[in-house]
Amino acid sequence: MSKQEVDELAKLAEKPEVFAPSGSFEAPVRDVKPGEYYAYAEERLPGITEVEGSVEADLPVSPQEKLATQGFSLDRRDVLRLFGASAVASSAGCIQRPEEHIVSYIRKPRDQVPGVATHYASTCDGCASSCGIVVKTKGGRPVKIEGHDEHPVSQGALCGVGQAGLQALYHPERLKGPRVRVGERLDETTWDDVFERIAKTLGSKAKIGILTGAPSGHALEFYKEVLSNMGQGEDQLYTWEPNGLFTSIAKAHEFAFGELDLPRVELSSAQLVVGISSDFLDVGTAPVFHGKGFSRGHAYALGKRGRFVAFESNYTLTGAKADERHVINPGAEVLVTLLLVRSLMEEPGSRGSVAQRKQIADILELQKSVLDEAYAKVGIEKTVFDELAHSLLQMPSVILAGGSSVFDHNATQLQLAAIFANILIGSYGATLMFEDGWMPCPVVPGDLKRLLSNAEDLDALIVVDTNPIFSAPPSWEVRKVLERIPFVVSIQNFPNEMDDVAEFVLPNNHYLESWGDAQPVAGFWSMRQPVVRSTTNSRQAEDILLWVLAYMEKSLPYKDYRAYLRKRWQKIYDMSGTKVSYDHFLQAVTRRGFVGRLQTRTVAELSNVRDHFRGLPEPLTELSLISPLDSRLHDGRYAHLPVLQEAGDPITTITWDTWAGFNPHTMEARGIRQGQVVKVKSSVGEIEVTAFAVPGVHKNLVVVPRGNGHQDHRSTISYKNGVNPLPLFLRAEDRYSGQPVTSNQKIEVVVTEKRYRLAALQKTSDIGERSDIIKKHSLATLKRNFNKKRDLDHVPDLFPKLEEGEYKWGMSIDLDRCTGCGACMIACSVENNVPQVGREQILLGRTMHWIRLDRYFHGDLNNPKATFQPVMCQHCNHAPCEAVCPVYATTHDEEGMNAMTYNRCVGTRYCANACPYKVRRFNWWTHKWGEMGKRQMDRNPRAVNPDVTVRTRGVMEKCSLCVGRIRDAKHVAKAEGRKVKDRDVRTACQQTCPADAIEFGNVKDPTSRISSLRTHYRAYTMLNGDPDHHHYGLKTLPSVNYLAEVTLKEAPGKKETGSGH
Amino acid sequence: MVSIWQGSYREIVWGAFMSDAVDWDKSVSDVNNGVLAATGKPHPTFYVALGLSLVCLVIGIVAWALQITYGTGMAGLNSPVYWGVYITDFVFWVGIGHAGTLISAILFLFRAKWRNSINRSAEAMTVFAVITAGLFPLIHVGRVWLAAYWMVPLPNTNNLWVNFRSPLMWDVFAISTYLTVSLTFWYMGLVPDLASMRDRTRGYKRLIYGFLSFGWTGTLRQWHHYEAGYGFLAALATPLVLSVHSIVSWDFAMSVQPGWHTTIFPPYFVAGAILSGCAMVYTLVLPFRKMFNLEGFIRHEHLEALIKLTLLTSTIVAYAYGIEFFIAWYSGNPYEWIIFQKRAYGPYAFYFWVMTFCNCVFPLAFWSKKVRNNTTACFIICVLVNVGMWFERYNIIISSLVEDFIPGSWGHYEPSLTEIAITIGSFGWFFTWLLIFCRFFPFVSMSELKLIMPKPMRPKDKSLAA
Repeated sequence: MSKQEVDELAKLAEKPEVFAPSGSFEAPVRDVKPGEYYAYAEERLPGITEVEGSVEADLPVSPQEKLATQGFSLDRRDVLRLFGASAVASSAGCIQRPEEHIVSYIRKPRDQVPGVATHYASTCDGCASSCGIVVKTKGGRPVKIEGHDEHPVSQGALCGVGQAGLQALYHPERLKGPRVRVGERLDETTWDDVFERIAKTLGSKAKIGILTGAPSGHALEFYKEVLSNMGQGEDQLYTWEPNGLFTSIAKAHEFAFGELDLPRVELSSAQLVVGISSDFLDVGTAPVFHGKGFSRGHAYALGKRGRFVAFESNYTLTGAKADERHVINPGAEVLVTLLLVRSLMEEPGSRGSVAQRKQIADILELQKSVLDEAYAKVGIEKTVFDELAHSLLQMPSVILAGGSSVFDHNATQLQLAAIFANILIGSYGATLMFEDGWMPCPVVPGDLKRLLSNAEDLDALIVVDTNPIFSAPPSWEVRKVLERIPFVVSIQNFPNEMDDVAEFVLPNNHYLESWGDAQPVAGFWSMRQPVVRSTTNSRQAEDILLWVLAYMEKSLPYKDYRAYLRKRWQKIYDMSGTKVSYDHFLQAVTRRGFVGRLQTRTVAELSNVRDHFRGLPEPLTELSLISPLDSRLHDGRYAHLPVLQEAGDPITTITWDTWAGFNPHTMEARGIRQGQVVKVKSSVGEIEVTAFAVPGVHKNLVVVPRGNGHQDHRSTISYKNGVNPLPLFLRAEDRYSGQPVTSNQKIEVVVTEKRYRLAALQKTSDIGERSDIIKKHSLATLKRNFNKKRDLDHVPDLFPKLEEGEYKWGMSIDLDRCTGCGACMIACSVENNVPQVGREQILLGRTMHWIRLDRYFHGDLNNPKATFQPVMCQHCNHAPCEAVCPVYATTHDEEGMNAMTYNRCVGTRYCANACPYKVRRFNWWTHKWGEMGKRQMDRNPRAVNPDVTVRTRGVMEKCSLCVGRIRDAKHVAKAEGRKVKDRDVRTACQQTCPADAIEFGNVKDPTSRISSLRTHYRAYTMLNGDPDHHHYGLKTLPSVNYLAEVTLKEAPGKKETGSGH
Repeated sequence: MVSIWQGSYREIVWGAFMSDAVDWDKSVSDVNNGVLAATGKPHPTFYVALGLSLVCLVIGIVAWALQITYGTGMAGLNSPVYWGVYITDFVFWVGIGHAGTLISAILFLFRAKWRNSINRSAEAMTVFAVITAGLFPLIHVGRVWLAAYWMVPLPNTNNLWVNFRSPLMWDVFAISTYLTVSLTFWYMGLVPDLASMRDRTRGYKRLIYGFLSFGWTGTLRQWHHYEAGYGFLAALATPLVLSVHSIVSWDFAMSVQPGWHTTIFPPYFVAGAILSGCAMVYTLVLPFRKMFNLEGFIRHEHLEALIKLTLLTSTIVAYAYGIEFFIAWYSGNPYEWIIFQKRAYGPYAFYFWVMTFCNCVFPLAFWSKKVRNNTTACFIICVLVNVGMWFERYNIIISSLVEDFIPGSWGHYEPSLTEIAITIGSFGWFFTWLLIFCRFFPFVSMSELKLIMPKPMRPKDKSLAA
């Protein structure tokens, strides 16, 4: 691109009509932007959008010829030249280059400097929330996915699943090429063969359906268009998303306001959040967006702190963060919400129009007798609700209800009750955005049910990236129904259960190889561009459909999906009102990653929903089962990613497995010991699963998370890890949204004699009397000491001061912000090539995480408070490890960092012994990829970050504070003749943290964030005693400091800390 | 009561060092014949023992080879227990190596005559035990192919030097110094005996023994120099007895781990080392004296003196255990005190109680003279003491590492088969060398034994004596 063009684009970016930052949603959260624009795939990887021809030389009929015979006079390249945005814009300067592959260049592509990273903006496809991402590529290879700083959904952060996207890209078990069923086998075939045969078969079929996961952006419309082109009705498109939150919230809003959408939850402006069995920080509708908002609205800042009250029966990560947590019976969610609504109605000053209040009052009146008894049933006094109702009206607040597993038949009812409560506290328009930038529902409620009932008539079904055979309860008999469909085409990334019923198994492109878009918020569009050519012989699902259509001689007027998007984006272009050309617009959006002006509308007041409250659920009093989605493995679709399996569940820290979480008292009463295998039986199924005590779970509840238990041996990573709890669930659905129920299943538990060891990362959860590990301050204390500063480095010391350079790197971790989601662990593993070791090695205690997440429970076993503490190398200035290494493999550098020289290490492991934080990790083996011991594979050399050394066996390693990133920033600063500025360097964990709990920077720079955080009254260093009382503990003087957790109530009786040695 | 107790304690201390009342049934002239005859033709059990040792050695070699091939992961080590059985074995063998120098050097300087009958065996044990111990750091490290020479301060073009602040580096010097000095001391003691063997053999054997004996002829001048040199080496070796295990203890005491970071460690380790060393000498001498038919030269009075020394060190060790607990409680440091409570009552309490009973309780039986003179009972107790001393190190290392400061990092440890095999192999290695040595060299120092044995009497003297 010429200089002039760049300038034009720069100007374009400033045009408010394109990137209109109005309201909090669009305001960039991060102050430092990594760069104005990211790279543009077309520019770097010419022809990336082209569908590569088959490797076979003797094509019977080439696709071009096919297309040409249909009056399509342009060949592929012509189409591209005409339609491809930058191809046109930059064709003058373009030369025809030979086809290049992603690793070894024969000729250097333009602008590609070896060793210098190129960043692309794109959109994550990990879940339906569509976070903006920036993909760092080196030598044409994606090496890291990070949150897009300016993208309002991710706001720079990313969850673990997003971080793990690279492992999916380079996964050795990705489908490598198209396969066709020959009897019992699936044989390799060519794409042309595939297109021809599918086209032929589909041409003869009367009724064709498409089943997809939650499609993003224009994909839904695209599939509909494909269907209508095949002569099918648009209702032949089915969607399936196991996360019941989307459907239940959308359905409730449809009932209430007539729009099938979800409100956008702005937690950043909510000072009081009430969660009713809501796990919005872990598995919600948009965990990263909510995590960002929650930490801004809730965490301590400037003498203020929000309040979060949770009512739940399961112990979720979100509930662990609650300031007050009430344990309720499973199934009592609707009652609890209505009780809160009742208190709100009684509270003077509660909002809502007369009509709304009238309707709510009617419903409360209708259920008066039930609600009167409900206080006793749920075991919570009326005063609790009254106090809460009072507080809710005093400040901006919001009530979030419902989790990923649908609560019996009442998921939608619960959401309706929550809508009432939110109306009464006036959340709509303040913290819940339903008229201004709402979240479109990615799925259609009740589609799975519709598919199953329509399947009889279906002659063919094309399944795109979804796997209801595994993710819907077997009692729904999805497999049986799909088996009956004569012709199933499965387009997937990975081998899965769907292969068993499919005639054709076609590899889909990973989202980093695909074009696409997403509309996370109405009016706000996020672009997805390929950053690498397909790494296997795969094609984008949408393109596959287009090619099938072409072979069916029913072609759509699009060369490929990108051309389709180009057509669709015309509308967005028109709406933006920009004066620049469409090509420039598209190019700018692709470089920037997103564009948008929030859509606004006015919705109806509140429709009559009285009928939906005819019957209220009874809280369960018997043992029942809940199977929530796993935050990492989701419904099981990410079970094949070792980095996610190994990160472990945040509450139990169990890796690579499924457990049955019991209340410890329930276990005791039933004679179940930790690690004992129990048989969980329901009327339809039975599983054997290992019992694990999870404090805080309701006594009548057994929690068996979903995600593991795959039985497909082709996916060796997920094969037979844990068990799938879904066979226990009766076929039941939410009354209104039609979502399969995965909770409140009556079960029996039978104790067996078998024992099984669950690979938990953490073995002890009790911190005991140790007072200088986790510190807490009450809000009142902080207010009293608002102006008090600390100097963590002011410690009496006999040693001479260490030599120091220009920089002294420090890190600060805010325990009040940390939600324990564990995205940092996964980001660190991806950035630093940390190997995954597998269940057996974790059982031995050989985890390799450079940053571990310690979780401690305090208080009552029935309702404990949890504190999460990320612990990595503390980079002590009096490092116990440095003195003891006999060969100087670990040394202190002049920038305050504890450096590790892998080459020099001989592996005495003395440093690790000496380390009081136990953060050093030893390479017991040369680690391979996958689960060690039984299913390991060679590591894909492409999948390692080239900036970080890969360690071999016999070598110690540990957190380096992302020293590679520091080097990069220094090089840039040096080239620009300046010093490294604050936030020039962001470590992988800091960058990805959805709670902004981690800050990193130069302590010597008085203007840096880190130096102000280090002097904060809450700042302390671990194991360094209590400096207030002149106890300095181990006096290791770490460069990593923590900020104490904040409690709203005064902590009872503070203990003196130990004096150390 | 107290005075009686003190009195008998003094008796034990005195007896350990100074007892020289021996009921000999052999005289000086029997020494060379008796000792060397056994050397040439050992008891059949010798071959059984050698075979067993070689089998153990092969097990160990195979296990180590596997570990080098596949990685340190073959051991049961993990995070946070980065040190385990290998370091336990290392400290154990260094400890065993202590008694030799104590018996031969310190007791020599004290002129404790009873040491002359067992000093050779004790020194041989020392040398082989230290060689065995020296293997363990290499077995333990992750990259033995580099550790073998990077741990030594060799000049190199990279200008990379070793870290003299590291206690492991001190270990390298301490162990190598100790090995050098005890080897020299041991060999020097061997020279007159080698000359005797040279005089009794023919052919190539004579040549070899002749070469090894440095042309020793036993002239007065040679003896004069020899005595002076021997005394000097004894004086040189004496501080090493204290320094080596002090430095080994610093491997632990210099880190900040609770349960390791205490000033009592050096004397405590030295006492423990001597306890295990004495018990090991007893354990070895008893079967060997039978195997090589040396009962006439290693008398039960000598063995009793050894038992008294064992008892003495056992009481010191018991005191150290007590003080360690007291200081942990008295310090008021929660981390320290919790570790000690866990040692006694935690998941690894079994090892703690094995250690306490074997090292402090069972040796109490030695207060009884009857037990001291019952070789079977003594042998059993000495074996138990060795077991207890092994578990002492195991207990110190494991219990401190398993659960230290931060509960979130706690773990557990179980030795793997590889570690057990290598430990068995180390015994094989040690006994193989020791048995080979006994087969070809005098197991009792003939020249020194003659100093304490009754002089041969002419018939005239005999009649006079009668």
